[in-house]
Amino acid sequence: MGGTRTAKKPGAEPPAGAPSPAPASADATMLVRLPADCRLAAQAALKAQLQEVLQPGGIVLDVAQLERIDTAALQLLLLFRRELERQGGTLGWCGENAVLREAASLLGLEQLLNLPAATLA
Amino acid sequence: MSTVDLSQFHKTFFEESLEGLDAMEAALLALDSGQTEPELVHTIFRAAHSIKGGAATFGFADVAAFTHVAESLLEEVRSERRGVDEKLIDLLLHAVDCLRAMLARSRRGQPVADADSEALRAELVRLVGGEAAPPAPAAAPNAASVAGWDIRFTALPHLLQSGNDPLRLFRELQQLGRLEVLRAVVVDAAPAQLAELDPSQCFLGWELRLHGAVARADIDAVFDWLDGDCELAIEPVADVTPAALVAAPPLPVAPLVAAPAPKVDPGPRRIRASAAASADGGSIRVSVDKVDALINMMGELVITQSMLSDIGEHFDQSQLERLREGLVQLERNTRELQESVMRIRMLPIASVFNRFPRLVRDLEHKLGKQVRLELHGEHTELDKTVLEKIGDPLVHLVRNAIDHGLETPTQRRAAGKPETGTLRLEAYHEGGNIVVQISDDGAGLNHAAITAKAVQCGLIRPEQELDDAEVAALIFQPGFSTAAQATDLSGRGVGMDVVRRNVRDLGGSIGVRSQSGKGSVFTIALPLTLAIIDGLVTAVGEERYIVPLISIVESLRLRPDMVRKIAGGGEVFHFRDAYLPIMRLHRAFGCAGAVTDIERGIVVVLEEEGRRVGLLVDDLLGQQQAVVKSLEAHYQRVEGISGATILSDGAVALIVDVGGVVRLGQQRSEAA
Repeated sequence: MGGTRTAKKPGAEPPAGAPSPAPASADATMLVRLPADCRLAAQAALKAQLQEVLQPGGIVLDVAQLERIDTAALQLLLLFRRELERQGGTLGWCGENAVLREAASLLGLEQLLNLPAATLA
Repeated sequence: MSTVDLSQFHKTFFEESLEGLDAMEAALLALDSGQTEPELVHTIFRAAHSIKGGAATFGFADVAAFTHVAESLLEEVRSERRGVDEKLIDLLLHAVDCLRAMLARSRRGQPVADADSEALRAELVRLVGGEAAPPAPAAAPNAASVAGWDIRFTALPHLLQSGNDPLRLFRELQQLGRLEVLRAVVVDAAPAQLAELDPSQCFLGWELRLHGAVARADIDAVFDWLDGDCELAIEPVADVTPAALVAAPPLPVAPLVAAPAPKVDPGPRRIRASAAASADGGSIRVSVDKVDALINMMGELVITQSMLSDIGEHFDQSQLERLREGLVQLERNTRELQESVMRIRMLPIASVFNRFPRLVRDLEHKLGKQVRLELHGEHTELDKTVLEKIGDPLVHLVRNAIDHGLETPTQRRAAGKPETGTLRLEAYHEGGNIVVQISDDGAGLNHAAITAKAVQCGLIRPEQELDDAEVAALIFQPGFSTAAQATDLSGRGVGMDVVRRNVRDLGGSIGVRSQSGKGSVFTIALPLTLAIIDGLVTAVGEERYIVPLISIVESLRLRPDMVRKIAGGGEVFHFRDAYLPIMRLHRAFGCAGAVTDIERGIVVVLEEEGRRVGLLVDDLLGQQQAVVKSLEAHYQRVEGISGATILSDGAVALIVDVGGVVRLGQQRSEAA
């Protein structure tokens, strides 16, 4: 899950108009970096960003910078994964993040989010 | 000794225990507000100790067992082996609620312990460090301790918009015990396409299990403010066996219907519990002073009676005069006795005010606001009947003030105000009334919303321009509520019109002053029919006037050089760097034979709403409590007089209305 072919990194800045990932070829894996604050205010932009990368290939979410998250953000990611898989894509994760881990585990969403089993360190 | 029927003392036990619980609650809230006097802890401990002792004596084993654990915990606090934090205070407050409910149940002869109390007791035991509690009494065999709770929680789409994040809720649940998510689902109502998702809507549902002996009330408290934002079912897990876990019915993805929780009494809501329990009591506690006064009067009555019967036995015409005297005396004794009995009905408003710290604390937590509660004039006495009926309107006003009036810390900061809002309750005597004021420094009445609503209701025409007073009057219209959506606090049909009706039923009036952005002040004026004031008895000529002690700043004899005559016949005197107008009481009320020479009389400096005036009287006679009689009811309203009272020698004394006198003095000095 860790190794990733990186197609393009959308900007990490709080999304003001999602940087457009190049319409990648069918199988390309794309990395989407989640902003530091993923709470409600940032979600419209995040959603737009995720919608753009919806494609049958693999998507990897880079959570290294993530600092704040709420239930709505997890729900957004959850529904993103659901739709992605419906289209034949897969969701992967890059980077270990305690905030994400804690929130997902508390809400019991780890499996639904396809979060890898906890890795030490 | 075994023949003594202890049940005759039960009533007293209940009353004393409820009072003890009130004291505990008050002390806990004081601790919660940051006070650290060891005396507070002692008070709590003593209250718990007496309840335990009483309960054990009178055979309420469940109550005794419960209190015993609480007491052990308190002992640890008292001996400083345990620190006080918010969690502990929460827990102890719950214990207070729980004890109230237990007492209420034992009073009704119902089984005393329930799942809630057992769970709380278990938690207390756990906290005390595994100390063995007295064995659970056989009286409640069914109230087996709860091993955990199954919680089905499905968010309604607008859950997040009300600021309730399940993450926070789950964290709070985790504080109570180990939280296990048995299942999490996306509900069917969720949009299929990501594009259609509104991120601020929530489409998740959970099946949770909270392990451990957690009190139902604690769980309820977590979900308390989600009323209408989620579907919730909480059921106790009686005995956790793996089988039970497996056999748990699958979580229906569609709306979960709240299943009745067996044996869990959802009933007694916390705040109301005490009121309900004490409402049927029908007894009051009376200070020893009042009883002593009563006994004195009774003694006089007996003397008069024996005198009269003596006359009656050997009656002849020559004793007619003595008979008359005796009858007059009898009349006076009877009247005094009547007044003393009436005074027994007078209780300090503190008994109503005291429920507000808890209410405010609960609301603060519930609404995420910060409120500082100020109480003033708790000792103002009100007739018991008035007191009982004014409680609910006051609670409503306080809730309103916190719910609608005070803003959230964020809004307050944005408005340049301190984050903590101030809610002030004040009771005092004024102009022949008892005034209760509820003021907040919140946003004030929403002029636009009220006008719009009034137009919508057809109360006013759209083009009508209203001033603040007219807008304020609108909120007392029946069925008038501008709350965008009904919260469980206010805006549920019971509106300001009900408050106004309650106040009017008591013969009072209610008004509101509001300033946008600065806050609102609700003023309730209640008639003074039976009120008692502490007064200074002053002599003016042949008459005596009573000046309310609370308004007196100082009394002094003036030297000639302190007095200035001003144009127009007014007089002022120099007092602490200011010139105050002198009101000659004898002139204002036309008393004959009074001291007219200012230097020979005494000037009493009165203050009302920050304005001062000097009142010239002949002499000060002493301090006295006066039962205020309404002058309006017996005669007519007199400017500057708030009522009358009867002195111990039977003479009538008028009570000076300080507000009126200050106004009179002010007008005079302005005219001058």
